[in-house]
Amino acid sequence: MTAATDTAPIAATMSPRQYRTIKALDIGGLIATIVTVLGGICWAFPLYWGVITTLKPEEDVVKPGFQPWPEHFTLDAYTHVIFGTRIGQWYVNSLVTAISVTIIVVIISALAGYSISQLKFPGRRLLWWMILASFMIPVPALIVNHFVLMSQFHLINTWLGVILPQLVYGPVTVIIYKQFFDSVPKEFREAAKIDGANEFQLFFRLYLPMNWGITTALAIITFIGAWNQFLWPFLVATEEPMFNVTVGITQVTDAFCVKYARDLGSAMLAGLPVAIVYLIFQRRVTQAIMLTAGIKG
Amino acid sequence: MTTITETTSQQPLVERRPRREDRSEWWAALVFTLPFVIIYAVLFIYPTLQMIWLSLQNAPLIGPGTFNGISNYVRLFHDRLFSVAFWNTAYFVLLSVIPSTLLGLFIALGVNRLKGFTQSIVLACFFLPYILPVSVVYRIWLFMLDQQFGVLQPIIAIFAGTHMNVFRTLSLFMPAVAFVTVWWLTGFNVLLFIAGLRNISPDIYESAALDGASRWQQFTRITWPLIWPVTVLVLTIQLILQFKIFDQVYLFGDGGRSDATMGMVQLIYRNAFQKNMGGYAASAAVVLFAIIVVFSVLQYQLLKVRGEK
Amino acid sequence: MGNVQLSHVSKRYGNVQVITDLSLEVEDGSFTALLGPSGCGKSTLLRMIAGLEEITAGQCFIDGAEVTDTAPAKRGVAMVFQSYALYPHLTVRQNIAFSLSIAGAKKELQNARVAEVSRMLQLDQLLDRRPAQLSGGQRQRVAIGRALVRDPQVFLFDEPLSNLDAMLRVQMRLELAKLHQDVRTTMIYVTHDQVEAMTLADKIVVLDKGRISQQGTPLELYNRPANKFVAAFIGSPAMNFLKAHVAGKQGNDVSLTLPGDRTATIASRGGNLSESEIEIGVRPEHLRLGQPGNGAAFDGEVRIVEQLGNSTLVYVDTPAGQLIVEGEGNLQVEPDEKVGVVLDAQHAHLFGSDAQVI
Repeated sequence: MTAATDTAPIAATMSPRQYRTIKALDIGGLIATIVTVLGGICWAFPLYWGVITTLKPEEDVVKPGFQPWPEHFTLDAYTHVIFGTRIGQWYVNSLVTAISVTIIVVIISALAGYSISQLKFPGRRLLWWMILASFMIPVPALIVNHFVLMSQFHLINTWLGVILPQLVYGPVTVIIYKQFFDSVPKEFREAAKIDGANEFQLFFRLYLPMNWGITTALAIITFIGAWNQFLWPFLVATEEPMFNVTVGITQVTDAFCVKYARDLGSAMLAGLPVAIVYLIFQRRVTQAIMLTAGIKG
Repeated sequence: MTTITETTSQQPLVERRPRREDRSEWWAALVFTLPFVIIYAVLFIYPTLQMIWLSLQNAPLIGPGTFNGISNYVRLFHDRLFSVAFWNTAYFVLLSVIPSTLLGLFIALGVNRLKGFTQSIVLACFFLPYILPVSVVYRIWLFMLDQQFGVLQPIIAIFAGTHMNVFRTLSLFMPAVAFVTVWWLTGFNVLLFIAGLRNISPDIYESAALDGASRWQQFTRITWPLIWPVTVLVLTIQLILQFKIFDQVYLFGDGGRSDATMGMVQLIYRNAFQKNMGGYAASAAVVLFAIIVVFSVLQYQLLKVRGEK
Repeated sequence: MGNVQLSHVSKRYGNVQVITDLSLEVEDGSFTALLGPSGCGKSTLLRMIAGLEEITAGQCFIDGAEVTDTAPAKRGVAMVFQSYALYPHLTVRQNIAFSLSIAGAKKELQNARVAEVSRMLQLDQLLDRRPAQLSGGQRQRVAIGRALVRDPQVFLFDEPLSNLDAMLRVQMRLELAKLHQDVRTTMIYVTHDQVEAMTLADKIVVLDKGRISQQGTPLELYNRPANKFVAAFIGSPAMNFLKAHVAGKQGNDVSLTLPGDRTATIASRGGNLSESEIEIGVRPEHLRLGQPGNGAAFDGEVRIVEQLGNSTLVYVDTPAGQLIVEGEGNLQVEPDEKVGVVLDAQHAHLFGSDAQVI
């Protein structure tokens, strides 16, 4: 990483006090820290730049020169976007589809994961192997057939058409749920059985509440994934009112000239919800990411 | 239900039928798994099978066609566009996977040293882009690299002499898209590497420091070998992920106007939706699928071997 | 009422036979301990009574009714697990009331029963806490409370004290004894600790590799073990065993030549004596230190002395091997001393090569 600060031989030639001071200063470490923090700042710069550009009036944006801080603050870009495009409708579409996908995926995955983990039934092993194998199949390869299927059901350009094919992101969630349910000690199940609980009560009153953290993490990450979807909503929504916001902001450009602040403004509005969700639930998101990656490994 | 055993102790074991209550688990299992199984079957298994079937047909996107055998595949391999798409994808993967993996590791090393609030903020800086939808990333970078007003153009001018429309310049297109993708996705790798680094006990480093190892030596002899499983994991995840690239290439390429910048998924998309050749598109999808399966299996084997070591 | 009957019960996992043709009767209202080393099948037996393990062959009756195929919840049993299995996301009150709320009991009834039980177990102040906020002893009481509230016919305990430290264990033992006196319900208690069995149980069933080795009251098992296994397992410090040669027999009295060539006459229990080499079993408290010479059964040298305060354990090397002698707390003896070991023939037992008592 950084240049070697090999203190061992040097230590032999200096007084203990000098050695301790240098060690405390830890030059190499300091450089590493500074580089990292600067790196973080640079990395975040495009986000910063995007945000402040949207707060500048359009003329300032196209002025030559570098304006790291807006001379004039304005919300023009945003008002134009909000009132001039259908972003409101797109927001609704995004919310509806993302929330639906999240709820459905979490519920059916939890149920399926619980069954595979706790119940004995014929075909259990087969189902489990099929779920594991389904990782190999890349969902984008299925877009053609999903489209055909949706059109057969007359679901092109509808909410349901957007939602349904996204539900196949389920297998990851099922696997994670199964692992967590597996890790609940058997004695809880036995104690509850002696107390007279049936499977439904076991699931809703024991296993699910005891794993509430993982449910939250999975729900958040599913929501973010569904909100960010581009390819599929792009295909299946052929008319503007049905766009979700991720697609919408790429499809609408000003007729006469490029309006940078506005384009960026719409982008900022599109990304805002997921950014907020992340910033609030940082720990849960990172936990969920590491879990899903653990699965793929 | 059961036979009454006699009171002699020489009685051979009499096996009993499974208890009635075991079957009650079957009912619960059925109700619990049915939603998942239905959705999975209809939206996953059926389309997969249909895709394979479709690839053997000469058919439009929607509607019947005539059985064609493997002639679609034959055609595919002779199709110039197919090899263009394949090599574009491979080129892109090379440009994005290796830098984002290495960068992820070094950033993780740096972030792992930080503590508390600073660490949270810096980590968020690197990770936040990953959370954003592709179109937001697209807009930001389109603006930053805009030929006339992009804030990065002065820097480009230093190297190239003049402002350039990065995305219209063929030789710069893929590298530029790769660059943006690296910015977008490296945060994910950083997270995985941090998790891996945290698993290395600090005792090992202290012991090495006592042995006189320099920082560089500590990295090459301790960190790198111990983090190798995570490196492999990240490489293969990214590999598989980037092979399915579509969104950014499509967007930056202005809706795929130019054939030269097409990726494999885009090939499928173009054949299916723009040329209305469903069967042909399906065959391309199957090939893509096969490639990814090969990588997935490779990943699994590599990790298994590593794990056994 | 709550008597339990196992009739020719066997349990097999695949090819492994864990319990073979075991029959047992547990009287209503008794405290019966299932005692044995790890792997002897005692927990399996308990779980078979609870209904958590399937009975491969044989029958189980609770209160006269056959329950071999009945679901655990319908057997009228309640179980306290080794790890307590307290639901971590519920409060103490909710934990105790769990079975009632599963059954759909009304809130008033639940609260009334919980109040009753928590008063008995001194949990009233803790009702709104979560298990993670409780100490080990408190958690155990909650586990007992959860079982109590169901008003079962049979209480099942699966090594409930093994997770507690020594002092707490003694305290909880007393509480369990008191509990049994108060509710008088049948209790079946699995443990590997013979002290717990001896102090708590009305009847001990010693299990060895899936079979009953001996069953009886604690004192019966202590004073009249039926085989070497029970003799060695019960009593601390453990019984001494030494080989001896049969010199002659008169009625039930057997004359023996001891290692070191002294003799002793020990009464058998009337069993069949066919071998010439048998084993003598004698407890440390039935050996005494004396002067070496013909007055003692063995001449030996003291190896180690353990002062316990109320007694002294002396490890003596003798021709019969190392023997443990238990003496008074103020016994004065040093290592390397030459001593004689005196045998109390009245309290010695004879065992054949089949490990059964003679």
